[in-house]
Amino acid sequence: MISAADLEAAIRAAIPVIHLEIEDTSNGCGENYAVFVVSEAFEGKNTLARHRFINEVLKGQIAQMHAFSQKTLTPAQYQAHLAKQAA
Amino acid sequence: MADAAPTNFHDVQSPEHFQSLLSQDLQRISLINFWAPWAAPCKQMNEVVLELAKKYPQVLVLQVEAETQADIAESFEVEAVPTFVILRGHTLLGRISGADAPALTKAIAEHTRSPSSISPQSHTDRAPAAPGDGTAQESDEELNARLHALMSKERVMLFMKGNPDAPRCGFSRRIVALLRDQGVQFGSFDILLDESVRSGLKVLNNWPTFPQLIVKGEFVGGLDVVTEMVENGELKEMLES
Repeated sequence: MISAADLEAAIRAAIPVIHLEIEDTSNGCGENYAVFVVSEAFEGKNTLARHRFINEVLKGQIAQMHAFSQKTLTPAQYQAHLAKQAA
Repeated sequence: MADAAPTNFHDVQSPEHFQSLLSQDLQRISLINFWAPWAAPCKQMNEVVLELAKKYPQVLVLQVEAETQADIAESFEVEAVPTFVILRGHTLLGRISGADAPALTKAIAEHTRSPSSISPQSHTDRAPAAPGDGTAQESDEELNARLHALMSKERVMLFMKGNPDAPRCGFSRRIVALLRDQGVQFGSFDILLDESVRSGLKVLNNWPTFPQLIVKGEFVGGLDVVTEMVENGELKEMLES
């Protein structure tokens, strides 16, 4: 079983992280996860490239899950995202 | 009848007689003619049936007088005569109501065309291979060519589980909803129907899951990627370019 801590450690070891949210969407079973990562490492990468990147970073862990979903933003995009939410 | 009846022709005397004749060979095609002596059309159709019996010795022809053999007629839900029932063993292949000689002749010809008239040398309980499996081994180049052709079939192609009106997984359902919501025209392919496409695409696109969205022959992403691309405007840009 994969824990949120495992995932966080793997992500932080690979890229600088501004904001990170990890959610166990399998109601505590540790089988389905959704991650939200904000990092400058995503600058210049299109969406597919970012997702492939995270898939690679978490390859071993994802292989053990039933479902995995992700959302990736650059710091600038994250600021815009927060502004929109506050409006 | 002037001639002697051919050996594949039987006038059924009882339900037991009926069952024993049918059960002798469960691979055999049989034609059951439900008739009555008081119905004029039956007289003509009986002659047609006799001719068919002579022409197709591999078919078991059973003549059943519907009223005297009421139990048999009832078990086939025969309400009017003549009625013709075509079986393979106990399996219903077809049914013709009324004195339709051309339809009956056609049906017999069609059902006897297949190798059912040849006794099989082996049996299998396995279902037939899904389409696309092919009997010959597809080489890697052939598979790749086929995958590329499928991916380019339409400007936007969605490889999913099930089809857009009947998705077979939550992620596939969601991506269909998303595309429709965005007013994107897309073609689709059900990867559950073709194992080689299913596994081939995972390798070709280096993406382990379905659904997979392809635009202008190139892999774009799965549900997550497409969701993000809708949010950040990337998809719109891609489709308009």
